[in-house]
Amino acid sequence: MTTAIRDHARVLRYASMSAIADFRAIYTWRTWTFAWLIRILCQVSLFALLGRLLGSPGKTSFLLIGNCVFMVANTATQVISSTAWERMAGTLPLLVASPTAPFWVFTGRSVQWLLDGLSCSTVSLFLLAPLFDVPLPMPSALLAVPIMALTAVSTYCFALVLAALVLRMLSLRSLVSSLSGLTLMVLTGVQVPISFWPTPVRQLAEVLPLTHGLQAVRDLLAGDALVRIGGQAAIEAAIGVGWLLVAALAFRRFAEHGRHDGSIEFGA
Amino acid sequence: MIRLFFAAARFQVLQMRRSPGDLLVLVTLPLLSVAFLSILVESGDRDLAPYAVVGTAVMSIWSIAVFISGGIIDTERRGGTLEAIVPTPAALSVIVVGRIMTVTVISLLGLPESILVAWAAFGIRIQVVHPAVFLLTLACTTIAVVGTATVMAGLFVLSRSAQTYQNSLTYPFYVLSGAVVPITYLPGWLQPVSKAVFLSWTSELLRASLLTAQPSRVPFQLAVILLLGVGAFGTGLLMINRVLNRLRRQGTVGQV
Repeated sequence: MTTAIRDHARVLRYASMSAIADFRAIYTWRTWTFAWLIRILCQVSLFALLGRLLGSPGKTSFLLIGNCVFMVANTATQVISSTAWERMAGTLPLLVASPTAPFWVFTGRSVQWLLDGLSCSTVSLFLLAPLFDVPLPMPSALLAVPIMALTAVSTYCFALVLAALVLRMLSLRSLVSSLSGLTLMVLTGVQVPISFWPTPVRQLAEVLPLTHGLQAVRDLLAGDALVRIGGQAAIEAAIGVGWLLVAALAFRRFAEHGRHDGSIEFGA
Repeated sequence: MIRLFFAAARFQVLQMRRSPGDLLVLVTLPLLSVAFLSILVESGDRDLAPYAVVGTAVMSIWSIAVFISGGIIDTERRGGTLEAIVPTPAALSVIVVGRIMTVTVISLLGLPESILVAWAAFGIRIQVVHPAVFLLTLACTTIAVVGTATVMAGLFVLSRSAQTYQNSLTYPFYVLSGAVVPITYLPGWLQPVSKAVFLSWTSELLRASLLTAQPSRVPFQLAVILLLGVGAFGTGLLMINRVLNRLRRQGTVGQV
């Protein structure tokens, strides 16, 4: 048991190191700061400006906080595309043939998006909130960072399920990634409270990641009791664990299916 | 030259039929429209729906210009086909412009699509109150988008990480163009910058064409869009020729 855990931890560590190496190949600190981060700040600002257009400081605050936290989730959904890159690179047969389950590799293989998303969300929240006159109660507002990290992880687990499905249909990777991000943006209380939507949609939002993590951040910044904030964070964590189990099953099924019919090829 | 232009346009249509991913933005547009419209409906400001409709349409036009039109030469280079195009007697700039024009015209579908989403999702009927202004704005915008995308096509081919720049050219321009929120809501120091972005004039005119109030200074605003577009077009042609000469000189037409 201990050996198995140690082996999985080692695989996760190496996969994470590859993820960080990938990230360094995509961005330099200059392109990340002056291209990517500026883009994220503009995206959050666009929605906050919409609150100003509506002439409502409350709406401005709602939209700013919602979109700052959304960034962590939206970036995490990039695991869908980066998982597909592995198959496109032709390394999937080697992974499937190795003694390690592909699930462990893919779980660590895209963690760069967690760090990326958390950095973007944190900078957005603490930089833009003062510019849009959104009060941040200090030092308690700093607790938003670990809650956003939790939200990033739970969204990552959800996106891993989609990543496992997209491995069978590589051409859909960008579409699924975009649609999943936008669906979270619409349904989970980022732009409007989830009570705005009809009951079935609301019920769906309850089991999606981001809904409760975002609510926890909103409660925190509104100065609500820690019990309430902790409760929302706990639900977010439970939802993340649930999606992670589904992801483990989806990757196992994918690998078994590929071994069975020889459909996992060398090269895209 | 005209035959070449239409052959390039036809090629682009055929290519887009085979790569539906190029139209990804038009597939995801309904969700983005719903996101903006839901904010307005929830706040009880349904009368501001034209802002959301024009906003998402302008965003899709710009996004397609950046990702598809802007990447046309770079895609040929990465695919190894630029080497085959360059030695032919056909002018690369005419091919690029023909293809960009096709992409731009297709991207205009975002506007009726967005109007349809407003009606289907929230029962909001958007009417084109000033059709002449609406159509003239679209025509001038098409020319300006083609011009600006020509500049991007030349620029991106020189970049090692074009996609990073493509990603970062979206939201900053959505803000600067006043696509959803008019530029009067931007900080004062940023507003002159917005005036240099043709999409800010497009957004204002398109919104005006959907509202009952009589639009003012229409010829002036159309002239500004055309002027900025033609200026960009000239720069783009110059850039494509210079980039091509540089690649030829360095012998790197086929290298990525």
